[in-house]
Amino acid sequence: MIVAERKPMNEILDMISGVNRLLVLGCRGCVAVCSAGGDKEVDVIASALRLGRKKAGQQIEIDTDTLVRQCDPEYLEPLKERGKQFDAVLSTACGVGVNFIADRCPGVRVLPALNTTFYGANMSSGEWIELCAGCGSCVLHLTGGLCPVARCAKRLSNGPCGGSVGGRCEIDPNVPCVWQRIHDKLVEQKQDKLLKDITPIRDWTTAGHGGPRRRIREDLLP
Amino acid sequence: MSDIILGFCCNYTSSVDEDTLKKAGLVPDGLRIKRLPCTGKLEINTLLDAFEQGAEAVFVAGCQVDKCHNLSGSQRAAKRVGYAKKILEELGIDPARLEMFFVSRGETEPIVEAARHMSGVLSDAESIHR
Repeated sequence: MIVAERKPMNEILDMISGVNRLLVLGCRGCVAVCSAGGDKEVDVIASALRLGRKKAGQQIEIDTDTLVRQCDPEYLEPLKERGKQFDAVLSTACGVGVNFIADRCPGVRVLPALNTTFYGANMSSGEWIELCAGCGSCVLHLTGGLCPVARCAKRLSNGPCGGSVGGRCEIDPNVPCVWQRIHDKLVEQKQDKLLKDITPIRDWTTAGHGGPRRRIREDLLP
Repeated sequence: MSDIILGFCCNYTSSVDEDTLKKAGLVPDGLRIKRLPCTGKLEINTLLDAFEQGAEAVFVAGCQVDKCHNLSGSQRAAKRVGYAKKILEELGIDPARLEMFFVSRGETEPIVEAARHMSGVLSDAESIHR
């Protein structure tokens, strides 16, 4: 899922300076699952902003709502008109949702309540880790299913840097060296011969370095 | 008028009501007590709303950690209090205005102490309500 986290409240308060009518708009997609922008978080953000404005001696009228997803056009449709009733819409979706509202809802001022951080998994309640960089060119079949792009601090493609100690990354002893893990996994699977193949220099155009990416599936087009 | 101090108290803490405590002169006049079936049900926005609706200080009194009637309700409440304190700090509000207390069942004294502690926090503080 896409993992995100709330911006500091003082930053959000600065962002909504001068706004008298605000819609805090949640998303029940990834950001709800990672407890950053679902119904509960919308309520917390709305309450905090009301309190922050009251402390500043300023009034604000805040409405709340949560969409099934902010990244599909059908769910945004009602916002095209409703959004205009507010001075701003504070979206608690990931950056995709904020962009999508900006693109599709002319006349609606959208602001981000979250920082979108990474593609990750839920390790335990309250903990998420990055497992995918969305680079557009998966090598997981060569690395025992473990991604060196997302999980190696140096994004190395041909083995460890030599800085790891005891299977731990030199940037942080709490981070496992993914190349150590890739080695161990491939040995366990008797696939370690893969380690002898030299991976060519990566073409980063698939990772967005060639401009915004687009995917077309002809059979689904209207 | 005394500053409003709102206490969210678990059903299994003292059952003495706020008026009795006030008449006995044991707690500040501004104390309001809101009784809950379990503090574990308290949401973060409820704590923030309490301030927005007029409280100058808020405390939560739940069961002792290892004796919670609902096993982990008071621990859950403590975590939410912790998160709400972080938000208060981000808003420039002293997080000491919100506290969690783990109190023994049926005893009044810990509630009185909690209320007095919060009153002390407010002694030199400016109002957050302009």
